[in-house]
Amino acid sequence: MQTAKRDIAVSMTGISKRFGPVRALENANLEIARGSILGLVGQNGAGKSTIIKVLAGIIKPDSGSIVINGETVSTLTPASVEKLGVHFIHQDRLLVPTATVGEAVFLGHEIGLGPFVSRRAMQRKAADLLKRFFGMELPAGTLVKDLTTAQQKVVQITRALAQKASVLVLDEPTAALVKREVDSLFDVLRRLRDDGIAVVFISHYMQEIEKLCDRVTVMRNGTDVGTVDPRQTPIDEIIAMMIARDVGEMFPKRSVALGAPVLEVSNLRLGGSFENIGFNVRAGEIVGLTGLLGSGAKEIVQCLFGLKTADGGQVKVEGRELLLSTPVRAVRDGIAMLPEDRRAHGVALGLSVRENISLASLRRYSKSGLVSRGSENQAVDGLIKELSIKTPHRDALVRELSGGNQQKVAIAKWLSCQSRVYVLDEPTVAVDVGAKVEIYNLLNRLAGEGAAILLLSSDLLELVGVCDRVLVVYRGRLAGSFSGPAMNSDALLAASSGARSNIDGVAA
Amino acid sequence: MSVSANDTTAKVSLRGFLAKYSVLIAFAAIVIFFSVASPTFLTPANLFNVLVNNVVMLAIVALGLTIVISSGGIDLSVGVSVDMASMIFVMLLAAGYSGIVGVAGGLGAALIVGILNAILITRLNISPFLATLGVLFIGQSTQQLATSGGQPIYLTSGYAADQFNAVARTALFGVPTPVIVLIVLVVAVHVLLHRSVFGRYVQAMGAQPGVAWYSGIRVPRELSTVHVLCALLAGVTGILLSATVKSYVPLSGNAFLLDAIGATFIGTTLSRERKPSVIGTLLGVLLLAIVKNGLLLVGWNFYWQQVGIGVLVFLVLAASFGLRRAAH
Repeated sequence: MQTAKRDIAVSMTGISKRFGPVRALENANLEIARGSILGLVGQNGAGKSTIIKVLAGIIKPDSGSIVINGETVSTLTPASVEKLGVHFIHQDRLLVPTATVGEAVFLGHEIGLGPFVSRRAMQRKAADLLKRFFGMELPAGTLVKDLTTAQQKVVQITRALAQKASVLVLDEPTAALVKREVDSLFDVLRRLRDDGIAVVFISHYMQEIEKLCDRVTVMRNGTDVGTVDPRQTPIDEIIAMMIARDVGEMFPKRSVALGAPVLEVSNLRLGGSFENIGFNVRAGEIVGLTGLLGSGAKEIVQCLFGLKTADGGQVKVEGRELLLSTPVRAVRDGIAMLPEDRRAHGVALGLSVRENISLASLRRYSKSGLVSRGSENQAVDGLIKELSIKTPHRDALVRELSGGNQQKVAIAKWLSCQSRVYVLDEPTVAVDVGAKVEIYNLLNRLAGEGAAILLLSSDLLELVGVCDRVLVVYRGRLAGSFSGPAMNSDALLAASSGARSNIDGVAA
Repeated sequence: MSVSANDTTAKVSLRGFLAKYSVLIAFAAIVIFFSVASPTFLTPANLFNVLVNNVVMLAIVALGLTIVISSGGIDLSVGVSVDMASMIFVMLLAAGYSGIVGVAGGLGAALIVGILNAILITRLNISPFLATLGVLFIGQSTQQLATSGGQPIYLTSGYAADQFNAVARTALFGVPTPVIVLIVLVVAVHVLLHRSVFGRYVQAMGAQPGVAWYSGIRVPRELSTVHVLCALLAGVTGILLSATVKSYVPLSGNAFLLDAIGATFIGTTLSRERKPSVIGTLLGVLLLAIVKNGLLLVGWNFYWQQVGIGVLVFLVLAASFGLRRAAH
């Protein structure tokens, strides 16, 4: 193997960290080179966020050494790390929503005289930087909350660049972005790499790692198990390194005899979003739905759950026409929804596993308005076992569970309701690979039990792997229906971007 | 090695224990302190006085606030509900109506305050804080307008006074009626909040309103019920207040607001997630009542009592949350 002398920006060696009895990091190493993009992958709990927090000065390691720009640093604080040129773009946006772009870029490093800040100067400089680095014409007086998630990411990166970052660490930066935005973010990152900046890219999306990264470090059980070139190592092999067992296949195969149509949508219309939408989902069928941001795919799903009220059209579940005006009705009519924003809409973090699971079906476990704890406990314990939800006990707070297990609690809530139709909105965003596979298995089992499943996703590989059929929405209309060999990510991508359509298939 | 590990566990769980039961510990310490400091404190007569005059009315208002705070909201207008119920009750009795009509009228007045809050919050989407603050202002002015600038209404003799007595001065098996009312309401609200489907919905709305909505819960309807219940409970206090002091004094209900909020939050220290609970609130009310009474007995004046209560609230909250963080 060729060992070209790389220019090392950050070198972390032998880092260990325990939290009580839990070993978060055990002799972990991380080497970040200038002018290169390093991918960092691993399942949740593998230690990748811990090692990043160590580098960020948020967590103090028990042992190990850290060298930044040739200098051995003993104690790190968030402020001292920034001074050394290492900047972090965290997953949750950390921008003040009511600040202007200019204020956000210079937050903590305001331009001005003494205690007085010059908004105008900050806005002008921010606009300059945005244009210089990203060719982006963003009015710098725009408020952060009015920006798209992608634009906010760019503002965060600009903030780092304004402070002369030499190392940029991005934690799951694409989680909330659509394809086009991901592409432009990647262009930005490549340009930064070419300027000699060291970029660390943490992601659950293997395709992104393969596309973007020069090297990828895989973590497992608190240590680094290897660093490889993602362009020369098959994805399956990287995944196998992450979970230490042969994945076999990420997308479990299944064969289900399809039943009668359960969900029938015809001529659905919402002004400004979509029109003339019609499709069926049969019992046992998993139908995918995809489209770019603003295509209307998301709004279709929202109408089906009563979050938005359609202007016209018909929705039937098992032959009965529904009046979908609120989620209250949708739930009563047997529609289950797995929302994209799990923390805001999916599970209540401050409630117990039990309270979350029974929330939508309490009437089942109650007599004359009082909850019968016996039957509730029995049902909840059954579902915890059935979905193998990893929780110490049924009364543990959902906050204490991992992301994948939280998602399973959200699914269990609807199983408890015995819903007939499952509408899933990006169910595997920010969920690690192992949990993803479990969620796919769960979908298969739901389908096997005769549920109708509509899966909205922007992960094309996931759609191809899981669905029987994928519907593509382009500019508010169905632009294609793909199944069998015609259902591949190239075709889906082409149809979502309007390059090709497959209207014939829509008749199905 | 293993010894030191055990030590740490023991220390952590001791801290956890102290954090969890800081209210009870404070309660016990305060009772012991005043028993020693004042000979009259632990006498039956004094404890009975505390219970009837300091605990019952505050506790009923605090029960209502416990429901509202559990739902993630706040009701700053509980004082208005107290006053409105009190005012209508007294006015009806003064006009010669029977006690039953007076009670119904008083509760009806509180109901209107609750419905007004519910409409502002669920129909006009005003935040509970601002909606009930507005109702507080309106309610205070209404009382002043209705009583020519805040003149109290006294009723001291005759038919109307007998009706007062019928409510406040009777006893069942030696237990005063107000105490019985409190016991019934405590049990009822406890069951409602901690055992019923409605209570579960309230907790869910308090924990994460979006999740409640996405789970098919009729959030606006449940939230309306929450505010109506809170106002009605405050109305009960209003009637008991008038019946006890045989008068209606405008704006006297506001005295309950801050104590009730304080008691509810002291009660949240019992829960790891800092959720309000009926038992916790009741403990908070007892704690406040005993401190007030005790300070009075040892000779502190009214203003110093407030300081004492403020310090107490700080200590209990700081001890509970500080120790809990350390134990974590």
